[in-house]
Amino acid sequence: MVCTNFRDDMIDVLYGEAGTEAARRLEQHVSTCADCSAERAALKALRADLKTWTLPASLRRTSETHRGRTLAAAAALVLLLLGAALGRGLTSPGASLEARFRAEEARRQAEIDSLRNAVAAASQRDDASLLAHVDERIRASEARQALLLAASLSDLSAHSEAQRRYDLARVSAGLSYLDGRAGQQAARTTELMGYLLQASQDK
Amino acid sequence: MGASDEELVSAFQAGDISAFDDLSRRWNGKIQGAIYRILGSEEEARDLAQDAFLKAFRSLRSFKGECRFSSWLYQIALNLCRDRMRRRRGRILVSLDDAAAEGHATEPRGPSALELVEANDRARRVATAVAALPEEQREVIVLKEYQGLTFLEIAQLLELPTSTVKTRLYRGLAQLREHLERDGLRAAPTVAVSPS
Repeated sequence: MVCTNFRDDMIDVLYGEAGTEAARRLEQHVSTCADCSAERAALKALRADLKTWTLPASLRRTSETHRGRTLAAAAALVLLLLGAALGRGLTSPGASLEARFRAEEARRQAEIDSLRNAVAAASQRDDASLLAHVDERIRASEARQALLLAASLSDLSAHSEAQRRYDLARVSAGLSYLDGRAGQQAARTTELMGYLLQASQDK
Repeated sequence: MGASDEELVSAFQAGDISAFDDLSRRWNGKIQGAIYRILGSEEEARDLAQDAFLKAFRSLRSFKGECRFSSWLYQIALNLCRDRMRRRRGRILVSLDDAAAEGHATEPRGPSALELVEANDRARRVATAVAALPEEQREVIVLKEYQGLTFLEIAQLLELPTSTVKTRLYRGLAQLREHLERDGLRAAPTVAVSPS
């Protein structure tokens, strides 16, 4: 068992959140306390064991797809920049500086316009697709809720039916018992009447 | 470098709905992972992550930024997990096949068949031990060990003092160790430093 005073320090050090003072304090203590030293080693080993439980492939794929998209976007940006640099390098050396500036300016303006149009179109498309996506999620959620409700109702119905059958069985058993008791009573009365009759005849 | 969460939240609140798409792309994997480790089911992880983002989408306009967006999102996801747990009365579903199959996906050198079997077995036992933890300890273990949140972040999102978070973590680790040792998985130290 770890010494209580050093438990928080131990946890902080274990997860890399300890300040230098806490780390030094723990190190000093562990060098003289076998229990805490063993505890620290055990916690490290436990953390290594915990790391073996990784996410299922399908869930890992989700985040990798997102990382892939980000990398693709970055790669596209790099290619765009490279293309722009090469384009500048291939400009005719004989053209005047002013003409080159104008051509460059016109080209950039055209690029800006086309990017602006593309962004506007993409934004509209994104909005529409996002809303469609949200609609789809709402529908999926509602369908799920409906299924859960149906399952709950079905459970409830099954439970009620079972309870009804149980109650009927109990009523039936009660009636049988009462029948039995009444039959016994009648038999006993008949028997007594017989004795009385016999006794009166004997007299 | 993309926009920060705070920038995307501001953009969304200013009317740029597509900013939410970036936020969900950024956090979907993490949220699914946290839910999977708390509830133990891939299907529920996907479903509840979707619900969490739907809730976030509906209420992000009123998000005041008093905590980080990710903490707020984790909070939504944790509440959904708690609701689900209450509904199934604390029953944890651990997909043992998944845990076993996914135990060691990559090895720096080619592992032998025996090593793979051992690693899968170890992962399956860890998954079972985590599933057996009390809910409050499991949440802290998952957020710290697998999501890598700081103690302060966990304390904020669970609305607890940092000391309580550390206590829950320590107790959870102690319980896991006990469970794994009982289960025959060695987690005890091999060498103890003797006092000088």
